[in-house]
Amino acid sequence: MKASRNKALPHTGRPAWRWVSERGLRVATGDATLAYYAALRRRGFPELEDAIPADCSLLLVLRRGAEVSAALWAELAASPAPVPAEAGKRHEIAVEYGGDAGPDLPYLAAAAGLDVAAYIRLHGSVEYTVAFLGFQPGFPYLRGLPRALHASRRASPRTQVAAGSVGIGGAYTGIYPGRGPGGWQIIGRTAAPLFNPDSAAPALLMPGDRVCFVAA
Amino acid sequence: MIEILRAGLCDLVMDQGRPGRGALGVPAGGAADPAALVAANRLVGNDDCAAGLEITLSGPSLRFPHGGVAALTGAHFAATRSSGAPVPWNETLVLAAGETLTLAGAEAGSRCWLALRGGLAVRAVMGSRSTFWPGAFGGHLGRPLRSGDTVRIGKAAGPVHLLRGQPPSAGEDSWPLRVIAGPQAGRFHDAQLATFFGADFRVAAASDRRGIRLSGPGVAHAQAGLPSQGVLPGAVQVPPDGQPIILGWDGPVTGGYPVIAGVIAADWPRLAQLRPGDAVSFATIEVEAARALAVAGWVIEELA
Repeated sequence: MKASRNKALPHTGRPAWRWVSERGLRVATGDATLAYYAALRRRGFPELEDAIPADCSLLLVLRRGAEVSAALWAELAASPAPVPAEAGKRHEIAVEYGGDAGPDLPYLAAAAGLDVAAYIRLHGSVEYTVAFLGFQPGFPYLRGLPRALHASRRASPRTQVAAGSVGIGGAYTGIYPGRGPGGWQIIGRTAAPLFNPDSAAPALLMPGDRVCFVAA
Repeated sequence: MIEILRAGLCDLVMDQGRPGRGALGVPAGGAADPAALVAANRLVGNDDCAAGLEITLSGPSLRFPHGGVAALTGAHFAATRSSGAPVPWNETLVLAAGETLTLAGAEAGSRCWLALRGGLAVRAVMGSRSTFWPGAFGGHLGRPLRSGDTVRIGKAAGPVHLLRGQPPSAGEDSWPLRVIAGPQAGRFHDAQLATFFGADFRVAAASDRRGIRLSGPGVAHAQAGLPSQGVLPGAVQVPPDGQPIILGWDGPVTGGYPVIAGVIAADWPRLAQLRPGDAVSFATIEVEAARALAVAGWVIEELA
């Protein structure tokens, strides 16, 4: 099992990377994931088919048969310019908290030692950043959840979660764009359309965008 | 136009997919064996990126009121034509007006691809005509074909050539699947790695284009919280129950389960042909060796 793991980049020795398949290069980008993503998008490297931001890493997908160019290695080795927080769009998402829309809210509030109203106030008190999308098309992983609200996923995932459900998964809060199975704790629901495949901008929330929740 | 007299188990409009949208949470999708669909397109004179049908395990009965030019590649299915003419695979087929083409069960393997001259003229969504069923978009109304559906065929240009395709020598369909070590292989104890690489797994019935679920000896691991990471088709995830899942073409683009291994692209066509109950085992190769393996191509020649 000696596959190429955590080799240093040529020249500068950062950041760590490894091949996760013969076309997939995972780069440990830490807090600079969105900055790397923005820099790669700006430059538009022809050997890249895709770049997928995730939690502190970026997966670069090479076109079939392509090699990583010296220019791309150099881009990865250089510290990318930080993305200013105000670069992303700001969204206000109206949420109906609790009741049928948020069946796990009473349990989560009790676990956090808060009454339900205080839980809702705390969840709505901060501005979140879209760290990355995944799980479903348009599903945002929102960073910035107050520590008191961190909660593990449900031991047994629901077979059906309603579209628009706002959930808690570990250190993240997120929104299910479409209905389907899901393991996050559900605290509310929004009517905001999160994903429209027919739109020129299909995902309402993009990496780097900022999100505030407002109780409906 | 084609009329779906009787739908198969899962007939999906597919082309070469919509890569490059991972940041939106959208997988590339597309035909499970893209080269086989390209070959079918070439046999009918289409562009490589034209949309055809991906047919799984049990096929449809299709009527061609105006006739058509078709080609089948991939797994052989029991097949009949209303004209009584044979239904060869990997060849240009000319269907008369009013003719019916009926596919029954796959004789071996799981999937075949049907190209029609002119391509299936469904609307492109995010740059592709491929069906993404989990998200209910693309293809024909975002779902598999149903009995009674009709699908338009695009306009074709130029003369028809009668061609035959030679699939890449599938090598041996012999197992094991070739994988490179996954990013979290180091999280598994030696005994668990030995189990993973020593065992025969079986393809579970709950498999689909999102993931090929395996059943076999549990591959337990220390489930420390793992940050979500970008994943590609072929990644072998091990959820807490220890039963591995090979991510498929419509799988999620990020995931939080440890990835023990990744099936190399040269073996993805074999993933496309796995059916429930099939035995699966794994063997590692080095990433450099995997990169050196070109995906074998088809040879297309005029029918004598």
